[in-house]
Amino acid sequence: MSVPGWVLHKTLLTNVSIGVPWFAAVLASGYRRHARTVGCIAAFASIIASAVLLAEAPKGDSLYQALMLLFSCLTFGAILLLPRRDCTTATMAGILFLLGSTLLAYSTGNLLVLLAAWILSIVPFLWTGWFRARAWRPLAALLLSSLSLALAVGLISTRTGIISISNLKGQSPGGVVAFGLLVIAVILRKGICPAHAWVADAADTGPAIPTALLFNGHFGALLVAKLIVPLFPFTDSLFPVLSYLAILTALYVAVRGLAENSPRRLLAFLALSQSACILSGLESRTAEGIAGAIVNWFVVAISTVALFGILRLLEVRFGENLTASKHLSLAEHAPRLAVSFVIFGLALVGLPGTLGFCSQDLLIHGALTSHRLIGLLLPIATAMNAISVFRLFTRLFLGKRRTGFTVMADALPRERWILASGVLFVVFGGLFPNAVVIQRSSEADLVQEAIHTGVDLNSIGKVDGPPEKRPIAATP
Amino acid sequence: MNLSQAILVFVVLAPGVVFAVFALLWLLGWSPGERLLSWITGLTFTACMFGTAALVWTITSGSTVTVAFGNWFAVGDYHFPLVLIGDRLSLPFLALAVVLSGLIAQFSATYLHREPGFLRFFLLLHLFAFGSLVAFAAGSFDLLAAGWEVVGITSVLLIGFFQLRPAPVENGLRVFGIYRACDIGLFVGVFAMHHWAGRASFDGGFPTLTGTRALIVCLLLLLAAAGKAAQVPFSGWLPRAMEGPTPSSAIFYGAISIHAGAYLLLRAQPLLAHSALASALVILIGLTTAIHGTIVGRASADAKTSLAYATLTQVGLVFIEIGFGWKWLAVVHILGNATLRTMQFLRAPSMLHDYHQMHSAIGGGEVSATGQGIEGLFPERVQLWLYRWAFDRGHLDTILDRWVIDPLLQASSSFAKLDRIGVSRITVRRGNVACISLHGPTKQGND
Repeated sequence: MSVPGWVLHKTLLTNVSIGVPWFAAVLASGYRRHARTVGCIAAFASIIASAVLLAEAPKGDSLYQALMLLFSCLTFGAILLLPRRDCTTATMAGILFLLGSTLLAYSTGNLLVLLAAWILSIVPFLWTGWFRARAWRPLAALLLSSLSLALAVGLISTRTGIISISNLKGQSPGGVVAFGLLVIAVILRKGICPAHAWVADAADTGPAIPTALLFNGHFGALLVAKLIVPLFPFTDSLFPVLSYLAILTALYVAVRGLAENSPRRLLAFLALSQSACILSGLESRTAEGIAGAIVNWFVVAISTVALFGILRLLEVRFGENLTASKHLSLAEHAPRLAVSFVIFGLALVGLPGTLGFCSQDLLIHGALTSHRLIGLLLPIATAMNAISVFRLFTRLFLGKRRTGFTVMADALPRERWILASGVLFVVFGGLFPNAVVIQRSSEADLVQEAIHTGVDLNSIGKVDGPPEKRPIAATP
Repeated sequence: MNLSQAILVFVVLAPGVVFAVFALLWLLGWSPGERLLSWITGLTFTACMFGTAALVWTITSGSTVTVAFGNWFAVGDYHFPLVLIGDRLSLPFLALAVVLSGLIAQFSATYLHREPGFLRFFLLLHLFAFGSLVAFAAGSFDLLAAGWEVVGITSVLLIGFFQLRPAPVENGLRVFGIYRACDIGLFVGVFAMHHWAGRASFDGGFPTLTGTRALIVCLLLLLAAAGKAAQVPFSGWLPRAMEGPTPSSAIFYGAISIHAGAYLLLRAQPLLAHSALASALVILIGLTTAIHGTIVGRASADAKTSLAYATLTQVGLVFIEIGFGWKWLAVVHILGNATLRTMQFLRAPSMLHDYHQMHSAIGGGEVSATGQGIEGLFPERVQLWLYRWAFDRGHLDTILDRWVIDPLLQASSSFAKLDRIGVSRITVRRGNVACISLHGPTKQGND
């Protein structure tokens, strides 16, 4: 049975993947019943539409479709992982609104739409009724990053009169000022030092799972991949600054996490440190570094959402006074949550046999190739993160015989299946990494070529045969 | 793929497959009984033993068995080769790993009978066997690093096997920290090989490096090897690792894991040959460790710790042999030491019984302690000083705490204070920063 052509039309599929979650968000707010079912159906529709988009995308030009599919799956998983206590209509509407906004940002090729998506994605985190954190820093960072991006977009569009990203490639529109504003937006949104503290505040004083979803939209990295790399290829002297800041953030936050005893803050630091590697990989100007960054994007997103999800489940069952300052020994009662936690945690820091090992291997090679000495900080930061992950695991799940209570539910079937799916992805991705890495490596080649030559990304993919590689040493 | 290649693949993969199947079944809610688990484990390792014997028979004709699966992943000019190799160096270690894993499995079936963590132990034993077989059969340093990491994580999880007590768990964390810190040397060393020699595989010739580059790579690999083999100054983790169950102590710290560092250096022997300075450093570390091990072992109050230090002394000697380039002497030394120590560790719970048997056998006379004559050669003040030094295990843990861990934790606390600037206490719901991490509750070994 053949599928009608209009069903596979890119615009229609993109509209479905974005529009259905937004419609469902409105529906969930109005209907006020079966919030989880509505959320699951909407996220599943996004998954299907994104998967078809990915299948139809040309090889080497499927990064954003892959990211759309990833974020749809993450949201679907997060909705299933949400404890019943948290599964209110407001929460569901906020999550679906975030899903639609994030997919809009991934899919657009228009500066103004990107700015709109950026702002819309933070809307649920501005109101107390949705996901606003009690601390002031998350609000300030999100608003300032939006302001910075708005100024940069305004500057670019007024100077050039063009709002299509593909038409601006290689032109350094807006000059150093626009570049600086974009970098500030990245630093604030991504939580790069010295603007890192808001992420921990948001995780600590806001809702855990929606905050994890916001963070794992990785809008900062998206801005680097979508705007900064292709639009400003000749800023050789300025671009490494972002990379140095990212590597220093990875190390600083890794050290910061060593003595942190709040599980939520510690997880936020781990996520920050590991995701800072994404930026350094994107900037490394090597195919392996860029491919490692993109694969690490997948690993960090899946692992941190799962870790925050498991932590939230523990909070709901055990109480919100979880701490890493003493042994809680919850594995005795929740062994499957414990095993899932340690697998996702170790995948995050590059355990062999998981996809994290490949991404870390590629990232370390990329970082060391491009910055020999500063790059050394990356494996050091990863080693410290590994210690923090293991410390958190041992403190939460092991260490003493519990006598205070007798019953605490392990992973429920709904949670077990979604966690098992995540585990299977990171493990099978680690055993057969080429399935993921080859797809991302062709995109990495494109980004690398764009950095070296400053030519239009789309034109590279259209020439016959693979693009000729230029040695790193020949980079001006 | 010919028969020898198929056998090599089977030997390496079999424990990994058993682990994966049982782990997946457990995740889905099914736990196998003790008898079924022991039977399948026995069958697996027996088959692996026959396979290894066949491989040994094959290479006696002088041929090397190599299986190339292509690249595990490749990006641009960088690739991660997936090559297994069965040569005169790897096969003795494969045989050692397979035979000892099988023996430990059989021993543990009785020793851990009705233990709540019976399934967990066997799963981790299979994973460890898989990791060590991958490390020993790896045809490149990339793959060796992957197996190396698996051995490390299983080692740590088995140290914390008795998970309802804080001491094993905290000591496991300490060991994990040291492993991860030292493994940086392996990863950066592998990167340096790729960067300077274009590859890190030893299938079809070793990466060619000379001069300063060879020295740097050797030093990085030595860092990893010294960490895994508990050489000075990283020896402090060894007594902490004795918190695990006796069978795991036997195979990890009497046999396979502690000798993995020596195997890494044996693999890197062609590089060491190009760097006299690195070879001298290997000898120096080995000598220091041997002296440290023999002194500290004499002051250890428990059987497992004193056995661990005895092993450490021998591993120090093995390092010296590797430094001098006596490769095959080192291999024979490792095989003999690993086998003997495994047996001694497994007999450790029955030590008093053995002592009584020996006591009777010599007609009721006193069983003399070894080394008493040597100790008598020193003045009493020196003996006392040595005793204090040995009792605190060479102050290595104190040095590590004071110069590495404490400054890191202080830096972390200072960063936390910086982060709290401008934030009221009310908004920080869980801002309970404290400096109690990473220091285990005890620095003593198992009692």
